[in-house]
Amino acid sequence: METTASVHDSLAERAADTPGAQDKAAIAVRGRRQASLLRIRGELGLGWKIGLGALGVVAFLSVWAVKAAMMHKRSVLPTPAATWSALLDLKSAGILTTDLWASLQRVLIGYSISVVIGVVVGVAIGTFASVEAFFEAQIGFLRYIPATALTPVFLLLLGLDEAPKIWLIIVGTVFYNILMTADVARAVPRELLNASYTLGAGRITVLRRVILRHSAPGIIDVARINLAAAWLMLVVAEILAAKQGLAYQVVRAQRFRAVDKMFAILLVFGLIGLASDVLLRWLRNLSSPWARP
Amino acid sequence: MTALDVVGVSKVFRRRRQEVTALDSVDLHVDTGELVCLVGASGCGKSTMLSIIGGLDEATTGKVLVDGELVVGPGADRGMVFQGYSLYPWKTVADNISFGLEVARWPKAKRAERVRELLGVVGLTDFSDALPKELSGGMKQRVAIARALAPEPDVLLLDEPFGALDAQTKRHLQDFLLTVWRSLGVTILMVTHDVDEAIYLSSRIYVMSARPGRIAEEVDVPFGQSRGPLIKRDPRFLDLRDELNDLIG
Repeated sequence: METTASVHDSLAERAADTPGAQDKAAIAVRGRRQASLLRIRGELGLGWKIGLGALGVVAFLSVWAVKAAMMHKRSVLPTPAATWSALLDLKSAGILTTDLWASLQRVLIGYSISVVIGVVVGVAIGTFASVEAFFEAQIGFLRYIPATALTPVFLLLLGLDEAPKIWLIIVGTVFYNILMTADVARAVPRELLNASYTLGAGRITVLRRVILRHSAPGIIDVARINLAAAWLMLVVAEILAAKQGLAYQVVRAQRFRAVDKMFAILLVFGLIGLASDVLLRWLRNLSSPWARP
Repeated sequence: MTALDVVGVSKVFRRRRQEVTALDSVDLHVDTGELVCLVGASGCGKSTMLSIIGGLDEATTGKVLVDGELVVGPGADRGMVFQGYSLYPWKTVADNISFGLEVARWPKAKRAERVRELLGVVGLTDFSDALPKELSGGMKQRVAIARALAPEPDVLLLDEPFGALDAQTKRHLQDFLLTVWRSLGVTILMVTHDVDEAIYLSSRIYVMSARPGRIAEEVDVPFGQSRGPLIKRDPRFLDLRDELNDLIG
């Protein structure tokens, strides 16, 4: 691929200075010619981007298909086609709607609470040294307790309903949300705060109209990055105790050795993640076009 | 009449059990409508002095008076402009200028009128809807000056405002500042390390020496109101420049 690229380069060069080939031989060359596709921090045309992306997906699917064909007899890895048709089966059976909704609801409720706490406490920590001093030690300690280890505690305390699952999602993500939001709030330039004070703004105005506004795109990014942890906690909760939900369906499919179904649900997880990522990126750019890279 | 009075201000930092005197009993004053520069080598404490006047930093001893009133914190009566522009990146040029007016609860119509007026003064009427990231450094600093001027401050404090600009833009903005100063009659105290700039702009110069920061000399600049690029070739300009450079060391 690199050779094609350098051929491209020299073609472009020849087009640039018309004398062309004869001069090429006569003029000595200085400097290291830059690679095109594998240039460090290089920019890529849209065609190349889409092409390479598609190539990556095709490569992944072919490795999967080949591997599935090789392991055909043991039937532990379904082919991509079988997975796809299992997905359609799930959809027509209505499992996708009810279980997807059950899982989605848990994540939406739990993670929303986590983000709200993260923003309130995180911005306060990043803004006020006193709040930081109050929380620093306890958060530093609590965040190293694996939230998954708390699952039995929550089940014991809160029973088998929705509450322990939602709590698990909150506990498993809130410390990341707090600490990362605090960093975002700390990144507001001091001079911007000083400029605001000398324009007559008080603390509330500075907090609301400068710190929060400046932090908005960063907070959306934090929420986007930690969302993956929310799904992780959901799966743990649903595997242990649930009568509905995507992860519950994975466990159920395992009991019936329905590997195609299991993979279909994994596919759903991936698609939800992709969709939420795109949505939150879009929201960030929509709300803060000024922060667009 | 004295607009700004700094009386015996000292500032002592404590660093690793060691006391560092950044400012040692500084006295200075700026009269109403005057443009005064505070020059000194980097690290001499001149920016700290300006921060204390702006109310962003506290003096260890001494006091700052504006129109005879004691400064205890920052306020819109002392507009400040910083070297790094520090515009709100999410606000348009017009909204940046309008911020101080919103905070002061000016009625909407009056606000719009004041913003329009200032956009004209700084020559950015065509850029009122642009975001800061779409502007050049010189334009950004003009917006910052307009923003600081908007709430009609008693004193305008400039902290190395042209330090980050290229030489040509710097010259343009120096003339721009003189125009603003003459047409609006504002009182200005500017901190700079650039001796030429200080002589070119100000009617009076305070020279600071470093460690501890002290006022080493107060110099009157003999050019009055009639300033222009020509004074840079005046022999008095050159003499004054040598004198000040020697003082700064």
